[in-house]
Amino acid sequence: MKHASILLTAAVSVLGLSACSSESPEPVEQIVVREPGQAEAATPDAAPAQDAVAAGRAAFAACVACHTVEPGEASGAGPNLAGVVGRVAGSVDDYAYSDALQNSGLTWTAQELDAFLADPAAKVPGTTMAVGAVSDAEKRSAIVAYLASLSE
Amino acid sequence: MSDIADARPPRSKAAKWTRRGFIGAGTLVGGALIVGVAIRSGNPVGKLKPIVAGGEGEALINSWVKIDANNLVTAIVPHCEMGQGANSTIAQMLADELDVDWENVRVMDAPADGNYVSHHAARMFVGPGTLPDRPNQVGFMEPTYDGLFTQLGKLAGAYITGGSSSVRSTGQNGMRIAGAAAREMLVAAAAKAWGVAASEISTENATLTHAGSGKSEPYSAFAAAAAEQELPRAPKIKQVSEYRLMGTPAPRKDIPLKVDGTAIFGIDGGPEGDELRYAAIKAPPVVGSSVASMDASTARGMAGVLQILNMGDFVAVVADSYWQAQQALNTIKTTYSKTDIDDLDSEQMFANYSAALDEAGESGGNSKADVGDATAAFQSAATKIDAEYRVPFLAHATMEPMNCTAWVRDGKCDIWTSTQVPLMSRDGAAEGAGVSADDVTMHSVFLGGGFGRRLTPEYTNQAARLAKATGYPIKMIWSREEDTAQDFYRPADISRFQGGLDENGKLVSWNNVHCSDDEPAEAPLVEFYDIPNVSIRGAEVEPPLRLGAWRSVAHSQHGFFVESFVDELAHEAGQDPVEFRRSLLKNSPRHLAVLEGVAKMANWGSDLPEGYGRGIAIARSFNSIVAEVAEVDMTGGMPRVAKMYCCVDAGFAMNPDGLTAQMESGIVYGLTAALYDEITIKNGAVEQSNFHDYHMMRMDDAPEIAVHIINGAPDNIGGAGEPGLPPAAAALTNAIFAASGERIRELPVAKHFA
Repeated sequence: MKHASILLTAAVSVLGLSACSSESPEPVEQIVVREPGQAEAATPDAAPAQDAVAAGRAAFAACVACHTVEPGEASGAGPNLAGVVGRVAGSVDDYAYSDALQNSGLTWTAQELDAFLADPAAKVPGTTMAVGAVSDAEKRSAIVAYLASLSE
Repeated sequence: MSDIADARPPRSKAAKWTRRGFIGAGTLVGGALIVGVAIRSGNPVGKLKPIVAGGEGEALINSWVKIDANNLVTAIVPHCEMGQGANSTIAQMLADELDVDWENVRVMDAPADGNYVSHHAARMFVGPGTLPDRPNQVGFMEPTYDGLFTQLGKLAGAYITGGSSSVRSTGQNGMRIAGAAAREMLVAAAAKAWGVAASEISTENATLTHAGSGKSEPYSAFAAAAAEQELPRAPKIKQVSEYRLMGTPAPRKDIPLKVDGTAIFGIDGGPEGDELRYAAIKAPPVVGSSVASMDASTARGMAGVLQILNMGDFVAVVADSYWQAQQALNTIKTTYSKTDIDDLDSEQMFANYSAALDEAGESGGNSKADVGDATAAFQSAATKIDAEYRVPFLAHATMEPMNCTAWVRDGKCDIWTSTQVPLMSRDGAAEGAGVSADDVTMHSVFLGGGFGRRLTPEYTNQAARLAKATGYPIKMIWSREEDTAQDFYRPADISRFQGGLDENGKLVSWNNVHCSDDEPAEAPLVEFYDIPNVSIRGAEVEPPLRLGAWRSVAHSQHGFFVESFVDELAHEAGQDPVEFRRSLLKNSPRHLAVLEGVAKMANWGSDLPEGYGRGIAIARSFNSIVAEVAEVDMTGGMPRVAKMYCCVDAGFAMNPDGLTAQMESGIVYGLTAALYDEITIKNGAVEQSNFHDYHMMRMDDAPEIAVHIINGAPDNIGGAGEPGLPPAAAALTNAIFAASGERIRELPVAKHFA
């Protein structure tokens, strides 16, 4: 996987369970991404432009606190986004949308999503998506590319 | 320097709970006099034994007094400050016995620090028979209090802050004696130096005075000489009439630190420097399960992430900040091993409880009280009443979630964590870090709430394991979701009653069977009520859930059960609930005084607005007696507690403000659970996760609370932290019945008003 390959310092050590019963067991798996103080690997923003989906997936890390993306997974503080591109705004059954979004009449094309992400409250005044505006246009289009890759 | 600044523990240099320090003792440092008292209980530690620290010296509560060269007095107490203010009250008791004004007293919430450790003294301490002829400039006493309170003994042995025991055990039997002993030794030293009789020397505000000669010196002038004096075997402690500070609302020493933000709580603790990193963790949702697989492909690439660990019993992400760790953790996909309870749900658990009660029937199960013949008396009673009550599992929901900072290096382990059991936590850390308990240093910190949740060492063990695996200091913080899902819950329970009234409406038979394994054992008992035939039994059920002590422990459910049923009996007998209880309490004068006290406060019997109702309940727990009246407003969609009246007899209120605050706090905590909360199980896992589905009482729902104190037994004082809670739920549901005729037999109340 391309994304993992840029983690130059990644190391995986798999340790067996400790035989000593008086001590707590050792880790079953310990993935050392980097050491404290060591610079982080190149950020997803610097990923090759052609891999917009991977870059978008990484940028989407800021969104996962509220949004789930697996098909069928329950919505969180925000609606599930599996298959969001192309669907009518406000159409996920298990999520209580704001009236503003429910009645927006929008269909989530890539362009509409991009505009919404740039400034949700301006695009749909009254939306409950109070955080998450993405000002960086490149990052925004990467996120939209990633969302477009999610099937329902 | 101000008193507050002086009392402020320097970060990371705060007093420490090391094993040596705990056993260790005082010696003179810079002219300071140290006097320690150990309280030891002869009671068996019982079922807590396997989980308490095992060292001989640890079956003690140590109280320490330090008088330094500036004539300041420090009370060093082995209890944790979790909001209850007991340590300040304990210091108040010391100051009174020692004749020191409150502004010259400081509190250190740890028993000792490294400067005062002495192997010589430690040996004396653990082996009272091996005391050398002349103590090495140290004064010691070791009164042993056998069989005072079974519960207290257990808690003392565990070195626990809990059981509402701090003031009545450490304060009453430790700190007062330490203060009185130090005072007598100072007087003896001055008498010798001045060549006068000790009886002619008076003490006031840390000053020794001989009126005849006009000589007067501060305590500090004789601190060194005092340590050379013979130990008083039985120092004279004050009578109530002589109290100057005890019984007054002396301002708590911890409040200024909390108001100005300088108090260090567990979650604030940690080493100086920039090496600290953060961990977020998630344990399997079902008890007994372990992590079968972990997919961290997304988390690996996320900002700030340092390590991702599958620890077998939980997964963790270590990152540069807590937020980064938690965000990365949220993306990790895990599967868990199967367990026997993967299909379990709350309904099934209650069905199991019911089955156990069916099996116990009218006379089976574990007998807890057996007076007369309850079954026969019930058969021949003029009026027979049956009732069954249910309470759910409950979480603690402390404001500060579970967390622990650990650093394992060079064979040593440092721990900063909010815990009610520093010794157990130390052992948990030692196990996790792979070092000996002697090599663990527990840094003392304030607790952001305890309520019994912090009586377990597992989170300390987790942090130590992570610190060992990474090699650098780790601050592990549980999310609120983790805190809610991985609690040690107050047990759910079902309690069944049969009551018999004679033709005059007198209660002649009381037959009760319930499921919980009661701690304390007195919780379901009704010995203070005059009932000729009583049978109280327990049916054994082992729910496959992590269970723990929750504020007032089993009193939290039995207060509701017992007082609900008494209320039903009163109504069945056609009697006023206060009058009915009054007739049952004729042999319990302190209970009766509390009952009448609260009825008077609430103006019981007076008119209430339409849609309002009053309910009363009384309970004794942790040696204190509390009666409460709830005034409930039923005019809205959901019952609203408008007022709570509380009358408490804790023997003697060492600090009336502190006792009042604990009554208020116990009431709010109890009403919160009674009104809103339950932990339910589905597919083996806890369903609730955060405050949206596990509610806290908010200010606009909180009742106005009035507290009246009766000092009914100054030589037999009771606890404060828990006794306000047990009557609260029944007072509420009895009030709902009075207002609406609806009898709530299953908590929480909100279920019935959805």
